[in-house]
Amino acid sequence: MTTYSSGTPVAAVRLSSARRTAVDRAGDPILRGLTWLASAVAIVLFVALVYKVCDLAGESFSHYGLSFIGRETWNPNPSTKTYGFGAADFLFGTAVTSFFALLIAAPTSVAIALFLTELAPRRARRPVATLVELLAAIPSVVLGLWGLIVLAPIMSSTIEPALHAVLGWIPLFSGTPSSVGILTGVVILTIMTVPIVSAVMHELFGTVPGELKEAALALGATRWEMVRMVMLPYARSGMVGAVILGLGRALGEAIAVALVVGNADAIHTSLFEPGSTLASHIAAEYQGATTSLQISSLAYLAVILLALSVIANLIARLIARRAPLRLGAGVGGPE
Amino acid sequence: MPHRRTVLLAGLIPLTVGACGSSSSSPATDSKQLVGAGSTLVAPLLSQWQPEYNKQAGVTVAYSAIGSGGGIAQITARTIDFGASDAPLSEDQSKEANGVVQIPWALAATTVAYNVPGVPTELKLTGPLLAEIFLGKVTTWNDPRIAAANPGVTLPALKIIPVHRSDSSGDTYAFTNYLSHVSPEWKASVGTSTEVAFPGGIGGKGNSGVGGAIASTPGAIGYIAISYVLANKLDFALIANAAGNYPVPDVVSIEAAAKTLKSVPSNNEVSIVDPPASAPNAYPISTFTYALVPLKSPKADTLKAFLKWAITAGQKFGPKLDFAPLPAEILSADETTIARIEN
Amino acid sequence: MSPPAPTATLAGRLMGDVRLRRRRALNRTMETVATLAAVAAVVVLAVVFVSVVIKGIGAINLDFLIHSEVPFGQSGGGIANAIVGTIVLVALASAMAIPVGILVGLHASEFARPRTAAAVRFALDLLNGVPTIVTGIFVFGLLVVGHTQSGYAGAFALAIVMLPIVARAAQEVLSLVPATVREGALALGATRWRAVVRVVLPTASSGLITGALLAVARAAGETAPLLFTSSILTTTGVSTNPGQTLVSIPLRIYQLAEGTSPSEHSEAWAAALLLILAVLAINVVARALYGRTRARMAAMQ
Repeated sequence: MTTYSSGTPVAAVRLSSARRTAVDRAGDPILRGLTWLASAVAIVLFVALVYKVCDLAGESFSHYGLSFIGRETWNPNPSTKTYGFGAADFLFGTAVTSFFALLIAAPTSVAIALFLTELAPRRARRPVATLVELLAAIPSVVLGLWGLIVLAPIMSSTIEPALHAVLGWIPLFSGTPSSVGILTGVVILTIMTVPIVSAVMHELFGTVPGELKEAALALGATRWEMVRMVMLPYARSGMVGAVILGLGRALGEAIAVALVVGNADAIHTSLFEPGSTLASHIAAEYQGATTSLQISSLAYLAVILLALSVIANLIARLIARRAPLRLGAGVGGPE
Repeated sequence: MPHRRTVLLAGLIPLTVGACGSSSSSPATDSKQLVGAGSTLVAPLLSQWQPEYNKQAGVTVAYSAIGSGGGIAQITARTIDFGASDAPLSEDQSKEANGVVQIPWALAATTVAYNVPGVPTELKLTGPLLAEIFLGKVTTWNDPRIAAANPGVTLPALKIIPVHRSDSSGDTYAFTNYLSHVSPEWKASVGTSTEVAFPGGIGGKGNSGVGGAIASTPGAIGYIAISYVLANKLDFALIANAAGNYPVPDVVSIEAAAKTLKSVPSNNEVSIVDPPASAPNAYPISTFTYALVPLKSPKADTLKAFLKWAITAGQKFGPKLDFAPLPAEILSADETTIARIEN
Repeated sequence: MSPPAPTATLAGRLMGDVRLRRRRALNRTMETVATLAAVAAVVVLAVVFVSVVIKGIGAINLDFLIHSEVPFGQSGGGIANAIVGTIVLVALASAMAIPVGILVGLHASEFARPRTAAAVRFALDLLNGVPTIVTGIFVFGLLVVGHTQSGYAGAFALAIVMLPIVARAAQEVLSLVPATVREGALALGATRWRAVVRVVLPTASSGLITGALLAVARAAGETAPLLFTSSILTTTGVSTNPGQTLVSIPLRIYQLAEGTSPSEHSEAWAAALLLILAVLAINVVARALYGRTRARMAAMQ
């Protein structure tokens, strides 16, 4: 309030006494032109990015066409008969790691958001919410470091043997526990996406009108019934949008995943086995690729990754159109 | 109040622009500086050379261990002054690189390290057995074939986890080259290259990453440059050579392998893996590692001086990292090649 | 999406309900489950943070901060060059992304028709969704192929990551500036650009700085955009010349994380702690500023 009353009149006085110089008259079109140019830059940048990455993938695209997506081979040794490339291994790795990460992260995020809006002691809400939001800002390479050095040994010594003992009859949890692998990647992606998704959900639940909640409670509903019958239906589309937002982030993460996923070009049923994702494989191989077909095939993987993230973005927009996200919600991740 | 804040905002921009004003001469023209990248095997030796050569010649050598494939790719694109690779350029790569010569400038070995709790170092393995392990056919440490080679050693029923390089690597080249020599099946299905389609296992970035994966994964076995094994005290295997002996990988056994070299071809491509039985103490996965240098370089003189120093005075830094000195015939071939580099 | 309906059926269902105890039990169970899940998740997140702090704090010392990496096999290396490199890279990226981002925001709030503004917002959202490794490949193809890696290329890649964050924040905060403020200046005879420079921008300044700071925090922690653009050393020791490649803290952590020796790991932890503290400090400041902007805007309405 004070800033408003002390600031604006000063400026206004100066403005009113300012004579219209040539600079003044030119100012408007210049500012308009500059802002227009900046907006054009944003659009051109995205278009150029799509074009350039597709262009880099050109050789592989003309060699394999769309069949690249389903090919399971990734053999960079040009002197062997099976020399050739395909995206299937990495699409599989990306799908599995992202799917399971979100399978855990989505309900956990709902729980955190409900806890923060309904259950937590009033005084604890702000600090915990801030903590969760700040954790969304932890750089992924730090999570990768933690995953490789702290988490990976625990995975092979404790978590995976326990899962194997209880759920070993499911093929997903068969096999031998290992420190790095798909499951370690899943855990890291979960830790990465929970803060992002829960921050958005927290905000969504905050938008549920108090009257609706109170009406339900006044009708004798328990708190859980109020959540299930009022809050969740009200926020449903926004929640789906939030999960897809997390998905977009998980799909594209290269560094943290490359550190813990085991970097094997293979498809296994067991989550304990090593694998690779589109992003982690590009990170591992792009700089050292020597044949032009391999280089363009890696760019082809990037094109697929780009397409997936654009599709996720579009779906999230369609679903969450009615639930605009606040400024702070997108910290460290796509909004 | 708003004014002060505008100043703050405006202050950001000059601050950031100011940071880019401090430019010095670019690497392309600075003859007091050489930029190289590639092999992680040779990186420990280079990191000894860098301060020493700077002291003696006043030339700074920047080196990034991005893997041999990266070294080949980067020198082909001429983004660096020299590349480093433990794998010789293939015919296609050589054509693509257009006037890059390879200069063998260090001699070392790729060893096989493992992490099997309760099993001592220097486990004995044969070449064919190693191929079976990496083909995924021998899957547990107590496999009778491993036991047969190691009487008296108690082997656990632990799953074998092969560890390979995830980047494009000269160690992969040396190792797959060796396996192709000793296993027809390996040769036919996987072959020799800086990057191959491994039938299984996990990948680590650089020798460092493979070492890290072995150290942290019980049951792991992987190939890794000798100096990384020493520095990190990893357990390593003894590999049977053609004579049926199990030499310890060290300067002596690497030199013995290098002695089997008969002649140096004009492109300097020399392979000493799986040396003949006539060298009873030769280590079977020894490898030369190459500097990749364009024949036409804007920094020809600086480059030539550095290479000459590296293959002569620089060699004395090798033995403590288990790099063996270069044999005489390689030295003379190198000198001939270095003389061809010009501006 | 019509809340009254469920409430109405709810009322019906509640009428004559004789299983109140079961409902209460279910309520208690669900509350407990949600609380436990939330607490567990927050604890896990806190553990990650605390373990980085604990492992990092032991390895940080003055030598670590003022030295660069040491030859193979020796311990006691530092990250002085990476600290300086990160500062230069992020500063340069900010110089590219922040002015453009704020101009994009102004375009939406002052000049653009709603449809145009929506199109730009869409492009920004798409850009924000691009995986950063793909951004790295784009800049590699655009600036590095045929040239060399450099600090400029790395900074450009980081700027692409920053732009949507700065611009979206600017769009939002500028749209919050009350129309009365803008109209007041115009009514007093100011031209549009003077009104923007003297009134609109100052009013929104702390919000704009928030956006810029969040983008800076994000860029400082990014590894993937630098992997193919500023990762091959072209110099040794500390360098501020963006014509050469600049080492950055995230990239250094990435390299050290996969190291074999414990000394490499402790260097990685120390670097990680430094990075986290910097990123979180920037975030805290940004959040505080944002809270103030909102309060101020609300007061002006």
